[in-house]
Amino acid sequence: MGVKLLLEKAHVEGIRSYEVYRREGGYRSVEKALKTMSTDAIVDEVKKSGLRGRGGAGFPAGMKWSFIAKPEGVPRHLVCNADESEPGTFKDRYLMEFIPHLLIEGLIVSSYALGSHDTYIYIRGEYAWIVDILENAINEAKANGWLGKNILGTGFDCEIHVQRGAGAYICGEETALIESLEGKRGNPRLKPPFPAIKGLWERPTVVNNVETLASVVPIINLGGEEYAKIGVGKSTGTKLISACGNINKPGVYEIDMTISVEEFIYSDEYCGGIANGKRLKACIPGGSSVPILPANLLLKTAKGETRYMNYESLSDGGFATGSMMGSGGFIVLDEDQCVVKNTYTLARFYRHESCGQCSPCREGTGWMEKLLLRLENGQGKISDIDLLWDIQRKIEGNTICPLGDAAAWPVAAAIRHFRDEFEWHVTHAEEAQKRNYGLAHYAEPIHVPVTV
Amino acid sequence: MAFIELPIIYKSLKCVAFSLRTLREKIKKVSEQQLFKVTIDNITIEVPAGTTILNAARQIGGEVAPPAMCYYSKLQGSGGKCRTCLVEVSRGSEKDPRPMPKLVASCRTTVMDGMEVKNITSPKVIDARAGIVEFLLLNHPLDCPICDQAGECHLQDLSYEHGKEGTRYEFQKRVFKKHDLGPYIQLHMTRCILCYRCVFTADQLTDKREHGVLDRGDHSEIATFIEKNLDHDFIGNVIDVCPVGALTDKTFRFKNRVWFTKPVDAHRDCPTCSGQVQLWMRGDEVFRVTARKDEWGEVKDTTDGKPGWICNTCRFEKKHINDWVIEGPSKVNRHSVIAQGHYIGLQKPEEIMPKVMHGRAPKLLMDIHSVSEVNRTNIELSLIDGPATSKTFNHSEKTNA
Ligand SMILES: Cc1cc2nc3c(=O)[nH]c(=O)nc-3n(C[C@H](O)[C@H](O)[C@H](O)COP(=O)(O)O)c2cc1C
Ligand code: SF4
Ligand code: SF4
Ligand code: FES
Repeated sequence: MGVKLLLEKAHVEGIRSYEVYRREGGYRSVEKALKTMSTDAIVDEVKKSGLRGRGGAGFPAGMKWSFIAKPEGVPRHLVCNADESEPGTFKDRYLMEFIPHLLIEGLIVSSYALGSHDTYIYIRGEYAWIVDILENAINEAKANGWLGKNILGTGFDCEIHVQRGAGAYICGEETALIESLEGKRGNPRLKPPFPAIKGLWERPTVVNNVETLASVVPIINLGGEEYAKIGVGKSTGTKLISACGNINKPGVYEIDMTISVEEFIYSDEYCGGIANGKRLKACIPGGSSVPILPANLLLKTAKGETRYMNYESLSDGGFATGSMMGSGGFIVLDEDQCVVKNTYTLARFYRHESCGQCSPCREGTGWMEKLLLRLENGQGKISDIDLLWDIQRKIEGNTICPLGDAAAWPVAAAIRHFRDEFEWHVTHAEEAQKRNYGLAHYAEPIHVPVTV
Repeated sequence: MAFIELPIIYKSLKCVAFSLRTLREKIKKVSEQQLFKVTIDNITIEVPAGTTILNAARQIGGEVAPPAMCYYSKLQGSGGKCRTCLVEVSRGSEKDPRPMPKLVASCRTTVMDGMEVKNITSPKVIDARAGIVEFLLLNHPLDCPICDQAGECHLQDLSYEHGKEGTRYEFQKRVFKKHDLGPYIQLHMTRCILCYRCVFTADQLTDKREHGVLDRGDHSEIATFIEKNLDHDFIGNVIDVCPVGALTDKTFRFKNRVWFTKPVDAHRDCPTCSGQVQLWMRGDEVFRVTARKDEWGEVKDTTDGKPGWICNTCRFEKKHINDWVIEGPSKVNRHSVIAQGHYIGLQKPEEIMPKVMHGRAPKLLMDIHSVSEVNRTNIELSLIDGPATSKTFNHSEKTNA
């Protein structure tokens, strides 16, 4: 059993209620932080912990906090990003649903550290029932003196507000989220200025993911250095992984980032192997935006080393032979899955979710979707594959926000690693309508050149 | 005499002193304002801190200025969307010479001291820009032959200058349902490139914006949600800012091709706006009234230095030559087809006949028509059926009969 810091108590009977949560040691970190630590000391602990943003980009949280501008007389805000709409990612939902007070506790400490008197949780609109759970937890915390005016007699005031989104993936992008929170259309803003300088209502703002902010609780309780001892290298602490697809035990797992990908998929503690005795074909290890990897590159790096479930190892080899930790949405594809169809499904998602501000993303995503559908339906041409490559290349890096990149990467990776499956859809168009390409050679060991 | 001259000398001395003082103040102001050195396509200039790369490049002018489809210097917050102005920053600044990892939108990126920018000297930029043009044209209807904007359309210019000759798109193009914006403004959503300029215009010139962008992605559209007339004194300006034919003037619709009309500067005493406009005329007929535009296609400043937005009355209601005081032909700087009708500085060739003849009338030596087989005046070209061919002339008697 690996270390559990976030979900350890998630299954204690009644943990959703304040009494049980408090009895199990909840809100200790608020007492410690507000009564014994300066705001700078808290930021320092978070820096020492090495905690990286859990929302997808993996940016060091302590560093982000230290960037926040502190102009005289201007309020600052902390915003919790609970928009979780990336296909394959459902970890924040689990955390908020089962142990909501953990998030509230993390928010109070973080708000104190950043000097935010009005903190917002921007939650995905479809998570309607969780809004009630959170608001209930907030009310309980307030009734017990953890929120409101003069918390614990320290003079610190803080309110937490929950705001529901209206069903747009793009509102998870931090600047689009801020626009939406201001009551505007959820279009990402151009950066700079960054939210740390001009965010919500032009005030300095920090946007962090649910899991990032919940992790502040164990960091304060254990101390940054102790927290950093869990995990490996720059992947410190524990990470929630939402595993789905063709596995025996889909669900949310807390891992300590020292286990191998192979162990994560096959051990009974985690995914429990591929469902129905099938073989592993491919995997998208970090949510729909990150590159898909064939089985052989997933379990071993191009150098033939074991691949681990952490930030560095998953991205080993760059985009040529690696992928990313992303948001921890682990999607497993078995030998019966069609990569072309899978890529089409993702392209359709991005086409539908693009905000439409910038031309490459607005027009390019629709074009890619149409080409992929044609290939999937057996009406494609070989040149379509090169065209797809060229389109994704012209979207990537040329857009306002990373959604453009997120739409380009899955297409690029699918063509990079599964080109023959795409070509087969053209050369064997009729057959491709009746059966899948199958596992082919995607699980065979890759020849690794021996270096002397 | 001296008693007259003295005060004049005194006056002019004062004048010199005064202008020296203002000059000194001006110099002081400029030196107080930090100047940044920036090199764009190997041309170095100095611009005040806070200038964007695009505006610095516009100061150099010509091809060095990146094309801009969404940025509009008179509209706050505009730019950054179309991505046609992407440039490569090959050197960040004097302090941090690292190149920027991605191409940047020059319209929204400010210069740093010692920055080096590549626009047309960067193959990456040219490649990316060709891609952007392809994206912008992907779903564009290309109905230029029936579009009122043709001839002054920024998308036409952009495609000619930065695009490829063909498209690789083989699917049905997107079309939108017609949406009525009232008696003055015609919306052709299918032509829209979603530059958001009209949205900013309505936000910044009218007190309550009634139209905006609905929906998202490739299905987003400019509309009023519930069909509604746009009526505000200054809303007509959305027509001028629209880079394509998505918003056009209903009072001018299908009346004339812009290149057949002559732009002249004119003004009237208008209680609402500056009344400084451009009339698009044919003969004595006023076909269209617009704001005056500069070489970047943006509304020019009026004589008092404010952006020359005009009101709906001037734009839509004053279509008679007597409504206006004509100032003279407009200078057309844009390299569009309108400039082809260039007639400023037209020099009529000197009539030399009277000079060489010393005032005598020329004497008719020979009537060419009576000798030549080519120019036969007995063939009435306007009466023949279809175009003239050699047959027409060979059998002139028959065709003429
Ligand atoms: C299109 C798009 C969607 C995103 N959606 C989410 C999301 O649902 N939840 C989230 O936490 N971060 C999301 N992000 C990342 C946020 O922009 C931001 O990086 C993150 O909230 C920062 O928090 P962190 O540093 O704690 O990871 C998204 C980014 C993009 C570009
Ligand atoms: S990349 Fe896509 S989602 Fe992001 S701002 Fe541009 S159009 Fe909108
Ligand atoms: S209607 Fe014209 S001005 Fe408005 S967004 Fe579309 S192209 Fe831009
Ligand atoms: S002009 Fe700069 S992005 Fe449109």
